[in-house]
Amino acid sequence: MAHVLKTLQMLYTGTTYNISKRFYAVRKRFYRKTGILFSDGKYEITLDQRKLKTPKGNLFVVNSEPLALAVAAEWDAQQDIIKQSNMHLNTLCNTAIDNPNNLTKYDMVNYILNYLDTDLILFQSHENDELYQLQVAEWDPIIQWFCDQFQADLQKSRSMDSPVISSETKAVVYRQLMSYNLECVHGYVYAIDTLKSVILAMACVERFLTPERAALLSRLEEEFQLQKWGRVEWAHDLNQQDQQARVSATILYIYFNSTSWLKNSKTTV
Amino acid sequence: MYTNTIKTLRQIIHEIRCTKPQGSLKDNSFIRYLFDQYRIFNTTDQQVCKAKDEVLFTANAYLCYLRSSRMQQQIHDQYHGKGERSVKETANIVGFKLPHDPK
Repeated sequence: MAHVLKTLQMLYTGTTYNISKRFYAVRKRFYRKTGILFSDGKYEITLDQRKLKTPKGNLFVVNSEPLALAVAAEWDAQQDIIKQSNMHLNTLCNTAIDNPNNLTKYDMVNYILNYLDTDLILFQSHENDELYQLQVAEWDPIIQWFCDQFQADLQKSRSMDSPVISSETKAVVYRQLMSYNLECVHGYVYAIDTLKSVILAMACVERFLTPERAALLSRLEEEFQLQKWGRVEWAHDLNQQDQQARVSATILYIYFNSTSWLKNSKTTV
Repeated sequence: MYTNTIKTLRQIIHEIRCTKPQGSLKDNSFIRYLFDQYRIFNTTDQQVCKAKDEVLFTANAYLCYLRSSRMQQQIHDQYHGKGERSVKETANIVGFKLPHDPK
């Protein structure tokens, strides 16, 4: 009885009752400083004296200095609790290093080519003409850019039938993707899963679209509906910011893994 | 173009400062790297140089990453459910006070 009374009193006063109780394990920040190390031509991350490892226990190594610095900055930006779910660059690096699904470059490129058949921006509305006009105005220039860039011929669809994509177009995209290294293809898969579109992802990597714009175009129908039904911050804004963060992280990841301009320019200047 | 690059740099530093409310950024290795890159590309600024746009684009992508992550976290913190509310909190929502609170 006394126990029940005490609990009731605790509830009533609300002082000792912990309302922000979490039911999953959180990791506290256990390090003070983060840094990077250069060894064997690769970069590693240090948390105080410890070296960062991947979930599988491999040593965390990347080829590019800015990428390593950005990951170190991500770890440094954690406050009291480490929130790894928001560290997209770190996640991408981990996936590429560990490769938990044992994917080869061919697997992933094939996945991307199959995704092209159901590309978001090739399916345009057949129910709402206003939305269709918006899609034509916003999406068609991107499709046109893709066709010019890769000498491809893409047909869009306004029905349930998937658009026909010629084998020549697929061959061009195949060659383009195979010219990247494994890390970049991992990045591509992540970008495409986020944007739901191969074309938008490629336009973003080729710097035709900024990450913000690509995320907006990917959410075009949602934005269109919002104008009519209203915007809810905890759903739409949250979704938008999350998508932007993911896309920009992937663009950086692909970029840092595919070029060495930073190193070159250092030696030439 | 020049003002654009400086604006991006300032905004990136602002975002990094947001993640570290206290402490100096002087010995932050990332900031030092950023300034180094800005100095290196400063010399090639006015030449016909493909890398120029690339660098600015990358800097802007990084800015977008930092800003979107922060905004997302902010919205999440504001709206995320924290379990059952205490009696006091519930009373506050509807504008009541508890018996022992001052009038």
